[in-house]
Amino acid sequence: MDVAIVGVGLHPFGRFPGVSGIDMGAVAVRRALADAGVEWRDIQFAFAGSYEVDNPDAVVALLGLTGIPFTNVYNGCATAASALTHAANTIRLGEYDLGIAIGMDKHLPGAFNADPRLYACPSWYGEVGQFITTKFFGMKINKYMEDHGISQSTLAKVAAKGYRNGALNENAFRRKPLSEEEILASPILNYPLTQYMFCSPDEGAAAVVLCKAENAHRYTDKPIYLRASNVRTRRLGAFEVHSPWLPIEETPGPTVDASRAAYEVAGIGPEDVDVIQLQDTDAGAEVIHLAENGFCADGDQEKLVADGALEIGGSLPVNTDGGLIANGEPIGASGLRQVHEIALQLRGQAGERQVPGKPRVGYTQLYGAPGTAGVSILSL
Amino acid sequence: MSMESHLLPRRGRLWAWTTQHFPPPPPYSGPAGKDFVPFGVGFVELGDDVRVESRLTTADPDALSTGMEMQLVVVPFRTDDEGNEVVTFAFEPVA
Repeated sequence: MDVAIVGVGLHPFGRFPGVSGIDMGAVAVRRALADAGVEWRDIQFAFAGSYEVDNPDAVVALLGLTGIPFTNVYNGCATAASALTHAANTIRLGEYDLGIAIGMDKHLPGAFNADPRLYACPSWYGEVGQFITTKFFGMKINKYMEDHGISQSTLAKVAAKGYRNGALNENAFRRKPLSEEEILASPILNYPLTQYMFCSPDEGAAAVVLCKAENAHRYTDKPIYLRASNVRTRRLGAFEVHSPWLPIEETPGPTVDASRAAYEVAGIGPEDVDVIQLQDTDAGAEVIHLAENGFCADGDQEKLVADGALEIGGSLPVNTDGGLIANGEPIGASGLRQVHEIALQLRGQAGERQVPGKPRVGYTQLYGAPGTAGVSILSL
Repeated sequence: MSMESHLLPRRGRLWAWTTQHFPPPPPYSGPAGKDFVPFGVGFVELGDDVRVESRLTTADPDALSTGMEMQLVVVPFRTDDEGNEVVTFAFEPVA
């Protein structure tokens, strides 16, 4: 059974002192409901994801106690992909016709931390300072640049595009354009990545209303069909975050696996995609993910970036709303922010940052610790 | 599943690396604040056995390159509450 997205809503991303994660979640839900032209009482089930909010289902206290089944999910940086996938599958099962996927979070500033033992890592790994995600991203892109001839200035160009697109997005956290020179001159955090090449954990919420595809025109004249939504975890041999050791024999990472699965399910190839959202935890991740999701060969990014292919008007528009670099990462909400942007782009409602040429197919990808990825493919 | 001990070589090749220029969040227990010293981190490939992730003895990008030979050393890490020196392992470039 096909599934359509008929409403999207966002609470802006950034820092909002005094506003709770639940409050932001409720704002996003109300906006998604209004977008779909439905009431909370019409919603038959919900999935919600958060890292910081213990019980995102408590948002019903602000929306209405309607007794619906409401499942909380958490899957690291791929949390929103899991909420979306399970919401879609619930409709595909034929159990319900109209539901909602919600994400909300409210993080403190600074890199994420946790007890390594909760990630099946030894405690010494944290004590000596190796249990930190940013240094994995530094290692991965540093190796990738050597293997495939990518320059540090390409990373700076990618980050500059993120800030430039963020300036066009009223919901973004960082709305000040930064030049390539400013980005390169900011302090190195994990060589070759500088401070302004990284996104920040922040706050925000997003929600997506889904329905059985055959009902979609009751709610909107421009439904967005969810053609695939797939989550994968790492296999032995993948070069992954929080790995005290790796086997010699290498395997592609979970992004590659989730991407291939999604293309297969959707019957759509990378050449058919018109607008792209990639996990840009750092500018290097966007570069690598472009290849891992099949949009170019390893190493082609150097020229693609130089030629402006990833810009809003380019042949492969990536992170048109500024991505994680400009929006930050409220983990539970980040992937639904991606879907929100794709929906606006496919509907032609993205304003100043609208991709020209009437895009018809969109793509989203999430990746994070401890080696989890989610990919969705959407189309008119 | 049966397990057995296997002695790994003390020398290997640097497979991937970066540097850590800010104090990691807890449970990191090493020097922080003004006492923090940036350190290198990388995967060292030990023969055909395994790649291990380790601190590196230098955080100077000019002193590190993929494929270079590295050897295991024991280095001072921090001083505990009773004044005892705590050591850890690291890999250093073979001169």
